[in-house]
Amino acid sequence: MSDQTGSNSSEKLRSATESGSQEVVKTDCTPSNNSTVLPDRRTFLAGAASLLGMMAVGSCSWQEFFQQQFQRMSKKEIEEVVARLQEDYKRKYGKEFVVGTEAPIDGTLFAYALDIQRCIGCRRCVYGCVEENNLSRDPQIQYIRVLRFKDGTMDLEQSDIYYDPEEVPEKGYYYMPVQCQHCANAPCTKVCPVRATWTEPDGIVVVDYNWCIGCRYCMAACPYMGRWFNFTDPGIPSEQVNPQTHYLGNRPRMRNVVEKCTFCIQRVRKGIYPKCVEVCPVGARKFGNLLDPNSEISIIIRTKRVFRLKEELNTQPRFYYFFAT
Amino acid sequence: MKRTTGIRRLVLPVLILGLVALCLELRTGLTQAQFQDRSETSYEEVERQSHKEFPVPLTPLPKTITPCRACHGPEKDFPVNFKRREDLLVHRNVKLLHGGVRVWCLDCHHPDNRDYLLPLSDGKLIDFEHSYLLCGKCHGTKYRDWRNGIHGRRTGHWNGEKTYYLCVSCHDPHSPKFKPMEPMPPPRKPWAPKESPTKH
Repeated sequence: MSDQTGSNSSEKLRSATESGSQEVVKTDCTPSNNSTVLPDRRTFLAGAASLLGMMAVGSCSWQEFFQQQFQRMSKKEIEEVVARLQEDYKRKYGKEFVVGTEAPIDGTLFAYALDIQRCIGCRRCVYGCVEENNLSRDPQIQYIRVLRFKDGTMDLEQSDIYYDPEEVPEKGYYYMPVQCQHCANAPCTKVCPVRATWTEPDGIVVVDYNWCIGCRYCMAACPYMGRWFNFTDPGIPSEQVNPQTHYLGNRPRMRNVVEKCTFCIQRVRKGIYPKCVEVCPVGARKFGNLLDPNSEISIIIRTKRVFRLKEELNTQPRFYYFFAT
Repeated sequence: MKRTTGIRRLVLPVLILGLVALCLELRTGLTQAQFQDRSETSYEEVERQSHKEFPVPLTPLPKTITPCRACHGPEKDFPVNFKRREDLLVHRNVKLLHGGVRVWCLDCHHPDNRDYLLPLSDGKLIDFEHSYLLCGKCHGTKYRDWRNGIHGRRTGHWNGEKTYYLCVSCHDPHSPKFKPMEPMPPPRKPWAPKESPTKH
């Protein structure tokens, strides 16, 4: 039946082309007895697509709409984008912003270590990170989750992140903060259909927020729940916003994009420790260059008992948990 | 057929023995090399570190109690008393909870010059800015970890200048156990659907 219909319409089309007539070829979907001419399927789809396109463009500027992926941008394009972003942020937050694009430092491969025996679960790192990385306060986004375990157990399903005692550490419990593990074999970067997320040469897994389409495949792929999605426009009070930013890091995000910990890329690419390392009151957090044999991180891996979370998944995290004693 | 089996029986153990010997040889060689390497490095490191000034912040000492020599000293009102006492006339705010009954004031403070701490084996007095040297006398492994940046806090640059927090910045030397603190608020719980009144 469908074959017959197909051949009929192609015959009609052929005859119309041969005769050179200008009259509209009536296809099967337009009833012949109707006087008003309805658009055919193809015209309708083209119209709908262009309408959607117009709507999408309407929500952002033309420059932003046609902006390239960060890795493919030329130096000049990057400069233009940075200038535009700085202007946008100034308009929005009333502050002079610095959107850095510092490249990876040669000979560095970052890694992180956390002394699981020292951590007291005070969550200073969580809020230090929120302030430094311009995380949304409302709705709440926090890159670091501090899991509380009962002594002698390590069942992630039984852990608690909502503990709220008067004082920490509590007797009979230990704490394990979890954030993006910056895996060497990162499953999140593999599943991105548009390559909006990738691993930088210095080991930091980053997201180009302007290239992200918000499909959240990466969130589904991450076994550490290290990624967060902006369901609405992030809510950050202007007076609390941190104007020292990086394009791939803590610059203010927009709705419908995924974000994650970047080891404070805006700090570490300038040689400064990440914020969570500096605010930890017990000094449980360590950060450094894996390629430097004298760095803290190298000494920890060489001399202490270390483990990585969900090692059996072969994600090869660059985030080590260790026992100092 | 029997001959082939005989050869197999002979060859297989020889091969296995050879392999095991090779593995053992390699391992011993490697271990020795590693050990030599490490021992050399660590010795050099210790040598280097012992002469190095750590960039430490000022000792968090209350201004009111220094200089100690204002009161303590042979010619002053409070001569040295080596007798261990629990109840002090002054320094009542100091509650000594360090090392049980085995440690008391003059195990750390210099008896003749209270502006300094007891010296190391080289005889040089230790000032309060370098108190970590004295701490290291008992807590050697912690001191080693602190020097390497594994124990304690550091701020500044991961690849350059950094500030080391002193032992006494986090641990009160008279009561060194880390004090519990109030945690920051927990994350907000995600929206949970209300239970429907009709139960299925």
